[in-house]
Amino acid sequence: MADTKFPTTLKETAWCPGCGNFGILGAVSEALEGLGLEPSQVLFVSGVGQAAKAPHYMAGNVLNTLHGRTLPTATGAKLANADLTVFAEGGDGDGYAEGGNHFLHALRKNVDITYLVHDNQVFGLTKGQASPRSDPGQVTGTTPQGVSMEAFNPLATAITLNAGFVARSFSGNKEHLIKTIQAGIQHKGFSLIDILQPCITFNKINTFKWYRSRTYDLNEDESYDPTDREAAWKRSWEWDDKIPIGVFYKVERPTLAEAHPALEQGALVKQDIAKESIKKLIEGFAVK
Amino acid sequence: MKTFSIRIGGEAGQGLVSVGNILLQAITEEGWYLFSHRDYESRIRGGHNFTQFRLSTEPVHTWEQKIDVLVALDKVTVDQHRQDLKENGVVIYSPEIQGKTIDEPNFVAVPFIQVAEDLEQPKVMANAVAAGAIWALLDDDLGVLHTIFAAMFSSKGDDIVEGNKKVSQAGYDLVREALDEREKPTKPEQVAERFLIAGNPALASGALAAGVKFMSAYPMTPSTGVTEFIAGHAKECAVVMEQAEDEISAMNMVVGAAYAGVRAMTATSGGGFALMTEAMGFAAAAEISVVVIDAQRPGPSTGLPTRTEQGDLLYGFGMSSGDFPRAILAPGDPVEAFYLMGHAFNLADKYQMPVVVMSDQHLADSYETVEPFDLDKVVIDRGELVSGEEAGADYKRFALTESGISPRLLPGNGPGLTVAAGDEHDEAGHLVESAEERLAMMEKRMAKMKLVEEEALAPVVFGDDDPELVLIAWGSTKGALRETVGILQEQGKKVKGVHINQVFPFSKELEPILNGPGTKYVVESNYSGQLQKLLGMEFAWKPDGSVRRYDGRPLGPDYILERLEGGMQRG
Ligand SMILES: Cc1ncc(C[n+]2csc(CCOP(=O)(O)OP(=O)(O)O)c2C)c(N)n1
Ligand code: SF4
Ligand SMILES: [Mg+2]
Repeated sequence: MADTKFPTTLKETAWCPGCGNFGILGAVSEALEGLGLEPSQVLFVSGVGQAAKAPHYMAGNVLNTLHGRTLPTATGAKLANADLTVFAEGGDGDGYAEGGNHFLHALRKNVDITYLVHDNQVFGLTKGQASPRSDPGQVTGTTPQGVSMEAFNPLATAITLNAGFVARSFSGNKEHLIKTIQAGIQHKGFSLIDILQPCITFNKINTFKWYRSRTYDLNEDESYDPTDREAAWKRSWEWDDKIPIGVFYKVERPTLAEAHPALEQGALVKQDIAKESIKKLIEGFAVK
Repeated sequence: MKTFSIRIGGEAGQGLVSVGNILLQAITEEGWYLFSHRDYESRIRGGHNFTQFRLSTEPVHTWEQKIDVLVALDKVTVDQHRQDLKENGVVIYSPEIQGKTIDEPNFVAVPFIQVAEDLEQPKVMANAVAAGAIWALLDDDLGVLHTIFAAMFSSKGDDIVEGNKKVSQAGYDLVREALDEREKPTKPEQVAERFLIAGNPALASGALAAGVKFMSAYPMTPSTGVTEFIAGHAKECAVVMEQAEDEISAMNMVVGAAYAGVRAMTATSGGGFALMTEAMGFAAAAEISVVVIDAQRPGPSTGLPTRTEQGDLLYGFGMSSGDFPRAILAPGDPVEAFYLMGHAFNLADKYQMPVVVMSDQHLADSYETVEPFDLDKVVIDRGELVSGEEAGADYKRFALTESGISPRLLPGNGPGLTVAAGDEHDEAGHLVESAEERLAMMEKRMAKMKLVEEEALAPVVFGDDDPELVLIAWGSTKGALRETVGILQEQGKKVKGVHINQVFPFSKELEPILNGPGTKYVVESNYSGQLQKLLGMEFAWKPDGSVRRYDGRPLGPDYILERLEGGMQRG
């Protein structure tokens, strides 16, 4: 770890000792190092929350934006500079509550970015309130009678919208997480990686032990076909004694960049102003 | 100035637009100066709408309430608008639509559809009948209409072109027979090169000329014209226009693209602007250069979707939570719209802050004959940028400087890293909480405001230097203001008109005007006098009176003069 280009010890973190976020930070660093990337080629667009602080603790370009707005911001950055490897990163509240509409449309748009969701099933930073990922019945500061509604299923939603790369991993399974992040980066198009991340302070139900005893790698079963959308969708509902991790679904679809003719000439930020075309266009206002 | 105004009223989807387009072209091809505005309802079919054309041999910058010709394509036009006819004004109507003939002087019956059908042409050619009838009041032959029909319909075949010519001749003849010896508006002699353009395409082309590379927006009247214009030219101009799922997304995409280094913008109207404000505050905190067009319409809420007002000024001024540098520009006509877009991008880039360009429906949709735009006058200043080499490995995005401007390294040009955050941060962009660091960063950001203030655009001033009356206006009211000043001067009054095209921060040059000679009136399109309030706040100043309009219709000289005469609301 000492000579990595992506050191994770640059700053003192604001996380509780033992938090699941540390595992994710380390795995991201190793995944990038493993792919031979340079920090200046990588951009992390993160939101607001405990999870969203992660990019500040590692080398890389960072745009630490608003709560819930990582996806449109990352989309704009990627469309402007396709040469950057772009991540969106944040918590489950950030992505699935405040940013829920953006999440739906990012799945449709298929912009070529990797979305890392630290899924601790609560709002950490605001001290433990229910998130869309909290299971029914969970008692929190804002749900003293217990969460009344169904948990949001990001994987099923992503598969329904035919997202290109839909995966789940676990912050307590470093090897799996590194492998999944690298596959997400290499996938051309939008990659969703929902990462089970124990919040040891505010979530006393979904603990390291709870996840560890339930998770299994679905890709170890060679008969599992991640291109079978229906099977993937069905599997995405498995959430009881057994919780699958791995790549649920994978499909190649045209990316958002391909919808924009301007991007055929390469990264937008490197292109000159189309002076001749603009001159012609303006002359079109002339009255004969 | 002698002007001639034609108002055509009708239902949406009824050919109003086609007749309007034919006239717009014909009038400009004949060399007249034109100001044309629309008044329409928020629906695709039906309702009552009108388009007005005001032409002259001299430049015209606004509309007039009184009209020379009223053309009724629906039943309600005659009753709703006849009170606006000038003395001896003409009404062209169709007995088949009206359900009766109107036996009054200067009412000319032209059964638009029947004329077309009698000549064995399809009903849609009623539009050409109407165009021919109107043209009889403007010109002695139909040559220019024929040329336009040929250009419009040649792809549909000679029959269609000939049919249009024939029916327009019939419309023309009916009017000529009824009103033979009428005086027609003077025809222009020498025609200088000029543009015919509305505010929306002027803003959009101004942005393109300034090098905008990225736009994201969510459609909302009356801003959509900008969005569709950029989308329509994105390919040849090498621009990305991405329709967002909502305005929150649009603004955040723009932020992301601007951070990555391209000139980026969005366009919206009141409610959409409201959704963007959080991200505008983020842009301010993270010192990201963004440009937002707010095409105002009457609020609150969705208000009157297709009409005009200047009611967002104080909201736009507030813009987002907290204190931060900002600028608001308010072009008054298509020429200013074109050049001020470039200025908006320069301000945004130089001071790394959000800049709002406030338009409104009246500016957005009104066509005006203007001097040609000069691309050589568009200067692009991207502000302080550093290369990867200059920045070095220890680059700090928010380095404390005397000016408050921290040179930008665009991400991807490392070894240096560009770290930016909306939470308070240190020079390197990482999150901090200490009071000292907060003070340093806040003061660094706000220091930029001094430079923004120094660069504020001086007001555009017309009229007398030593006035007894001073009229102060902003944004799209410019044309009405200029004409009002001209009319009062002709009446022997000493009047000055002051048009403010940068409404925040104000130019220091306003101070001696506000405190100088003359009775001062603030003229604006909103209920509460928002410009007046802002001027009061910035200059501890109060006018002597005000003229305000908030019925969703544009200010014009008639309205302003009437209020000035009738004793005004006090300021
Ligand atoms: C617009 C807005 N609303 C609310 C907040 C307050 N807030 C900050 S983080 C957060 C939720 C955090 O939950 P999550 O995204 O799951 O991140 P975690 O802290 O659990 O990692 C909230 C509600 C905010 N910053 N901005
Ligand atoms: S509150 Fe929870 S998520 Fe946040 S740092 Fe502590 S353990 Fe981690
Ligand atoms: Mg969370």
